[in-house]
Amino acid sequence: MLVTWAYRVRKSLMGSFDPRARWIFSFAFLISATQFWDARFLVVLFVLAFLWYFSARVPFKETRRAWTFVWFLLLIMIVVNTILTGGGAGGVVPEGGHVVWPNGIPIPLTAWHFHFGLTYERLWFALCQILRIGGISAVFVIIPFSMDPRSYGVTFRGLGFPDKFAYSMELAFRYVPTIARDFGVTVDAQRARGYEVEGSGGGIFKQILRTAPLIVPVTMNSILTGEDVANAMDLRCFGRGPRTWLYKLEYHWQDYLLIAFSILLLLASLAIVYGLKLGDFWVPEFLIRMIS
Amino acid sequence: MTMSHLPLVVENLSFRYRRREELAIQNINFELHPGQVMLIAGASGCGKTTLMRCINGLIPNTYNGEMTGDIRLFGKSVKEMAMVEISQTVGTLLQDPERQILGSYVLNEVAFGLESLGVPRGDIIPRVEKALSRLGILHLRDRETFGTSGGEKQKIALAGVLAMEPKILLLDEPLASLDPASAHEALDAFRVLADEGYSVMVVEHRVEDVLAIHPEVVMYMDEGKVEYFGGVEGLMQVVDYHRIKLPAQVVMDRAHGQKQEKTFEATIRPQVGNEAELVHFDNVRFQYHEDSREILKGIDFKINKGDVIAILGHNGSGKTTLMKHTLGLLKPTQGRVLLEGKNTRQISVAQAAHTVGYVFQSPTQMLFAPTVKEELAFGPKNLKMSEDVIEKNIQWAIETVHLPEELQTPPLALSFGQQKRISIASVLAMRSRILMMDEPTAGQDYWNYTAFMDSILQMPGFDAILFITHDVDLAVVYANRILLVYDGQLMADGTPYDVLRDEALLRRCRVLPTSLLRANIEHYPRLGQFHRAETLSQFVS
Repeated sequence: MLVTWAYRVRKSLMGSFDPRARWIFSFAFLISATQFWDARFLVVLFVLAFLWYFSARVPFKETRRAWTFVWFLLLIMIVVNTILTGGGAGGVVPEGGHVVWPNGIPIPLTAWHFHFGLTYERLWFALCQILRIGGISAVFVIIPFSMDPRSYGVTFRGLGFPDKFAYSMELAFRYVPTIARDFGVTVDAQRARGYEVEGSGGGIFKQILRTAPLIVPVTMNSILTGEDVANAMDLRCFGRGPRTWLYKLEYHWQDYLLIAFSILLLLASLAIVYGLKLGDFWVPEFLIRMIS
Repeated sequence: MTMSHLPLVVENLSFRYRRREELAIQNINFELHPGQVMLIAGASGCGKTTLMRCINGLIPNTYNGEMTGDIRLFGKSVKEMAMVEISQTVGTLLQDPERQILGSYVLNEVAFGLESLGVPRGDIIPRVEKALSRLGILHLRDRETFGTSGGEKQKIALAGVLAMEPKILLLDEPLASLDPASAHEALDAFRVLADEGYSVMVVEHRVEDVLAIHPEVVMYMDEGKVEYFGGVEGLMQVVDYHRIKLPAQVVMDRAHGQKQEKTFEATIRPQVGNEAELVHFDNVRFQYHEDSREILKGIDFKINKGDVIAILGHNGSGKTTLMKHTLGLLKPTQGRVLLEGKNTRQISVAQAAHTVGYVFQSPTQMLFAPTVKEELAFGPKNLKMSEDVIEKNIQWAIETVHLPEELQTPPLALSFGQQKRISIASVLAMRSRILMMDEPTAGQDYWNYTAFMDSILQMPGFDAILFITHDVDLAVVYANRILLVYDGQLMADGTPYDVLRDEALLRRCRVLPTSLLRANIEHYPRLGQFHRAETLSQFVS
């Protein structure tokens, strides 16, 4: 059975908007945020994102797991891709820059130095990544916790997508918490057979193989669930023709305001980047002076 | 009524699944009238589900193969009907309501079919409410489907089918996941629907339960063929009562005077004294979150050496939660669980698994290996057993569940019933001293589960066995101690005779007495022991 995210009805500013208007804002924000690497603009967007996030009045403990996941991915991306290899900064951060350890890092008890080409510019870029991805995450993480699961499908239909696509989106949304639940059950079932998730020893290949007792049952269950869902839908005439959606969405004045703001945000972002040629990666003067 | 107007006529129907050599069903012929309840019985793999899929259009729409013969719905061949058209005439309730429910809320779920049919919005709510009222669950209208009990889910799924106003209802093992009282309520609802003019086909292992609503016709299938078609009385005389569970009195009458059946004796026997204590639940309370409801409310009992404990209780009473505490998969919010004197907070689950083997309810949540043999070796390897011991344990476990020929088969390629037995074998191979099974007989036919339960109970090496079940007869035949759970509380703990003779208490806990239980209660003062029906007949003149 597909389960839903932990949604609770709340009186909140975000909850007063039509879900279609909320999606329009979310996508406008996403496109806007991806235009910039300039921390000055990113700070503004970051603040806007978290104002939006807090307007949902969802306590942190309800979204904690989702944030743990987001910050874990972000940390990996920044540490591996930006700080260690510098690959993530390619094409954005100019070549060269001010190296943090120009003479290398001394290795204690030896006369050797470890040469590590991390620059202050790359560190600043890491900060920009946090602002950009953190802001985008705030706008999207809050959706399942603040949007009535009954409105997923009709929202996409109301945005002009076909019935089948709209209902598929509803199912897709509910698939994530369902997989999480199934994963939890499988972990328990295998632990009951003496399996320990944190295995000892072995190379990376062996470690990957060790996850088979978890990955295979969860995958197989997903396939079976997919088959069940398809059968249950077929047996109840899904896809016969135009579908009636039980819930009807209606725009109100505040929705028009939010949509207008979203369009404005998007147009302003595009004008700044493509018209004024601003918004590229930028490092503050004072930082450069301080380093010099 | 002429043949051409009958709701359902099946003529010379045979079907072979693609990539299979043998026919799944062959030469099936029958007709179903309005207002009839038809019971289809048979062991696992007899072709019941295939027959239903042919009628509701899933064959050939979803499952491919070669079909011959014909099925006519109100005179029209299904070959001329699209799936959508069939679905408006034939409503199907799948075996597990959890697999059928699509909507996140009850209202959405019941409205789903009507939305698909494009029924005007203004007409949907009245039809949904009518379907919910008919099943007495209108109060659930705005509830989340996920939070409802097993019995409620079954009714919600049925309401979703009824809202579409089909003429024929196909019910595929509708009682499989229900506690006895919920099963009884569901059956009553089916009878009422038939009396209102629906044609109802019920596929069910729990034959005795369905007989309570007096089905007009019964079909008994074996290996894809119809072995019997006719009234209930005839079925009682035709089928092998070792293969299909019949009412106790019928079995006793038929077994009386026949060759003596071997009396079942479990190897494991109760012991007394403090040294016999294996597990101690010390005033255990549990809730998942601070603000969620309490699931266990002060559970206090001990598991001793020699116990064979059946845990009975309604859907959602906390039985599975209780079992998970024994192994330390869940830790008490208050109180403590001691496993061989050690607090489960202080030991890992892997350590506890040396002592306790736990078979989960659904096999698909644990099977993963490329062969059955490797699946069975997984647990013992985790417990660091030697190769010789692992090999010996695998042989013992696979023979216990009667599947030795499947050792090299991928477990996921087996049928659901076989997968369930493999999941049991994979825990048996760990040779844990305490064996716990969650609904071990769900989805199993009578003959198979009797065979493996006999084998398990007669195997040496277990200190205690616990099983959760909705099948009261399973408790009657195998348990030497009963725990009765209601809404997170232990309502009774004692011998089967002491607990199960209190009919009022059982009913309060949504457990219903069966004919076998009643027969045993009647004869207990003289026999001093519970028996299965065929054995009981030898002691009763």
